[in-house]
Amino acid sequence: MADLIRMVGITKYYGRVRALEDVDFSVREQEIVGLLGDNGAGKSTLIKVLSGAVPVTSGEIWVRGEKAEIRSTTDAIRYGIETIYQDSALVTQLSIARNLFLGREPVKGPRWLGRMDLAAMNEVASGLLRKVGIEKRIPPETPIAALSGGERQAVAIARAMHFDSDLIVLDEPTNNLGVAETQGVLNFVRGARASGHSCIFIAHNIHHVFQVVDRIVVMRRGRVVADDIDPKASSVEAVEQVITGMTAEGVPVGE
Amino acid sequence: MQRQSFLQRLVAMPEFGPLVLLIAEIAVFTAINPSFLSPLNVSNTLTFTVELGLIALAMTLLMTAGEFDLSVGSVFGFAPVLMWTLFNSGVAPLEISFLIAMLAAVGIGLFSGFFVTRLKIPSFLVTLGMLLVVRGTALYITDGFPQRTWNAAGHWLATALVGDFHVGPFRIYASLFWFVAAALVLGYVLTRSKAGNWIQASGGNPQAAAARGVKVGRTKVALFVLTAVMAAFAGMISSIRTSAANPNSGMGYELEVIAMVVIGGTVLTGGRGTILGTVIGILILRVMRNGIVLIGVPGLAYNIFIGAIILGMMALHSWLERRHNAGV
Repeated sequence: MADLIRMVGITKYYGRVRALEDVDFSVREQEIVGLLGDNGAGKSTLIKVLSGAVPVTSGEIWVRGEKAEIRSTTDAIRYGIETIYQDSALVTQLSIARNLFLGREPVKGPRWLGRMDLAAMNEVASGLLRKVGIEKRIPPETPIAALSGGERQAVAIARAMHFDSDLIVLDEPTNNLGVAETQGVLNFVRGARASGHSCIFIAHNIHHVFQVVDRIVVMRRGRVVADDIDPKASSVEAVEQVITGMTAEGVPVGE
Repeated sequence: MQRQSFLQRLVAMPEFGPLVLLIAEIAVFTAINPSFLSPLNVSNTLTFTVELGLIALAMTLLMTAGEFDLSVGSVFGFAPVLMWTLFNSGVAPLEISFLIAMLAAVGIGLFSGFFVTRLKIPSFLVTLGMLLVVRGTALYITDGFPQRTWNAAGHWLATALVGDFHVGPFRIYASLFWFVAAALVLGYVLTRSKAGNWIQASGGNPQAAAARGVKVGRTKVALFVLTAVMAAFAGMISSIRTSAANPNSGMGYELEVIAMVVIGGTVLTGGRGTILGTVIGILILRVMRNGIVLIGVPGLAYNIFIGAIILGMMALHSWLERRHNAGV
């Protein structure tokens, strides 16, 4: 499969603090990449650069073989890159349907009246919730505030899928979720791949990453130290060693 | 989620608590003094209620978007003063003076809006400054004296704004229709329109809204303009009705208007607002002001009741909110 996005030579300084050093990172089409690393390894910064949340110091981003200028989250969404942070992507006071269509509300009748087509919005929302694999029947008028953490993730993923984001970035999607909810989210991720989307999956829990990703990339102290670990041919213990740079006995390993 | 009964849903509505309070208020006042519901008293109460109410309706949208405006009382006083000053000095006919004063209000709203959205200064500080600037300007251009007002009766503008007529024993001013129209239009905008979705999202989670392409800054600026224009419009109505243009009028209205909005169930921190609730909140405060005088409580005690209502309503809203979040 061809590269969907390719980040080349990404370097990022926060003032004089180096967060990323000459990072190369790519995601292929219909691929789920697990991005791992300890706190401060640079995963979040890399994702923020990709999603337009922070400006890059130097380096290039290519989307489908074309150079992309990503200066804001709106730019990133236009390039088909949707980043889902737990909770923060949704307006909790608004209903599921209103959140799904936020910023792209379908209008019925004369345009100047700006009347939202609530019936159509609710209908599409119901269909999406089923498609993403929420088993419980939740009315699309339900406010986000009434949903569980896993259901909120599902709504955010459903929205990204519906508006044809090619790449869905999930930042710690399984944090604070129970066992059943976590399995639900992992299923949503598999569903997204099945319908042609790529994902970057960031999580502290390596076991969750192993269950769902095609390839693992590990970062340490602002650099990529491994970028082609096949979860089927590796073990959690081996990846842990790459993340910490130590063997199980605490001996540093060579890079 | 199981289907809830009609009664359960009614009780769960944020407007339910305020509605009960309003009904209780009316019942108590009528029981103590039956003339509370007399046509004369109802007409009198409604007259000024709708003038303040116009500002509260606009403020509801602004507060839903997560901002508020302390300068509305000053604009309420300033706009008519500007209109009469222009008219009296022979600079422009009444219609043009009216337009110029309304445009000045647009400018005030734009200014506050840009300060809040571009310079990222909290609306509390921006509009506090604006309160002083606008009030100061009104005092300065008039030397602090009320403006001579020409008896506007008969002019088409006066008729359109505050022309009065009788419906049975009730004396109704045209301003009541402006109020009803504004409530219907703004209620529609907030709940049914695309703009309403943007307003609620701008107040609820501005970062998430902006990431979805919602123009949060522009939405807020538009609402600052709307609020200033409504305050100016209300000031004009009040000035023409009373044939007075006092540079001090409207002092303290900002707090009463904000109280009306929050009592009705709109959240001070933004994200959720209700026009129906605001209409009830407006009535609660104005009925209280009228009623306690009518039943013989000293008028100076008015603020004690208003304060108690605000505290009680906030306690009720927070209790309902916790119940709601607990999934009851």
